[in-house]
Amino acid sequence: MIAAQLDDLDRQLIEVLARDARVSNRKIAGDLGVTEGTVRGRIKRLQQDGLIAFTAITSFGLSNTSKMAFIGIQANVENVRDVAARIADIPQINALMITMGRFNILAFCLFDTLEALIELTSDQILAIPGVHHVETSIAVKTMKYNARVVRITERDKSIDDGD
Amino acid sequence: MSDDFSVDDVDLAIVEQLRSNGRATNQQIANNLGLTAATVSTRIRRMEDADKLRVVAVSDFSAHGYNVLMELAIEVDGRPASEVAAELAEFPEVFAAHLVTGRYDIDMLVVLRDFSDLPTLLLDKFSKVRGIRSMMPAIAVDVLKYKFDVAPLEARSPQ
Repeated sequence: MIAAQLDDLDRQLIEVLARDARVSNRKIAGDLGVTEGTVRGRIKRLQQDGLIAFTAITSFGLSNTSKMAFIGIQANVENVRDVAARIADIPQINALMITMGRFNILAFCLFDTLEALIELTSDQILAIPGVHHVETSIAVKTMKYNARVVRITERDKSIDDGD
Repeated sequence: MSDDFSVDDVDLAIVEQLRSNGRATNQQIANNLGLTAATVSTRIRRMEDADKLRVVAVSDFSAHGYNVLMELAIEVDGRPASEVAAELAEFPEVFAAHLVTGRYDIDMLVVLRDFSDLPTLLLDKFSKVRGIRSMMPAIAVDVLKYKFDVAPLEARSPQ
């Protein structure tokens, strides 16, 4: 992983674009008192370094995903990367990390019905060879959440490379 | 709160386009979907105005100087879990906090600049919060996927 070296202009750009990514380079340049070329160059560099990505965030309830669950998984230690990659490939899984702790894989998913959650955990995940144990815990109330600061993974970078 | 806002397939197709590239122009989206740029613009504005959609730059933890990510499950004793969670949520290192079902009562995502910040956070900060019976961490050693594009959306502040 690269050590991020950001200056004030980078941080201002991140702040402006975190509010609204669809504002034009020209408007940003005017607001920050720099040239349009500088804005374009900085944004490109931040994207290439995997420090920012442009996406759409929708509110709960817009699509059929209104609740969140934490899925703790105990999997074979010797091939945990392969098992983790297979689980991460499941479209309903929103986030997945390999961890050191009471589980060696921790996944997060958004779901709409308990049936859908059980199908995901008991039928899909538990059936993957190398998965020994799955524990699910449902978020009933979110006290704090910041959707704008994330881990930008290789998967995201490949999507964002257009344009 | 009554919530009679509804979306159709065209709205969802526009959202999909924006998820893969939030800075695509209205014209690019229109071309991909066989619509007019004006329609795309109107549809996006309608969802934004209803606080159902934000097109944003997300930034990596490392852009904010955070290099360690961990999940922390907390067991509460002798105090309402929502109070304990609200107090823990005040710490800037606590990035997300949820009340959850199961063996633990609170699930949090915690970020650190590096591991040397851990003793201060656990022993001087979290341990002062009343009602924590135990804390069970899971340290992220590799993040394979992180796509939280559905979230509680705040109303846009007029700045």
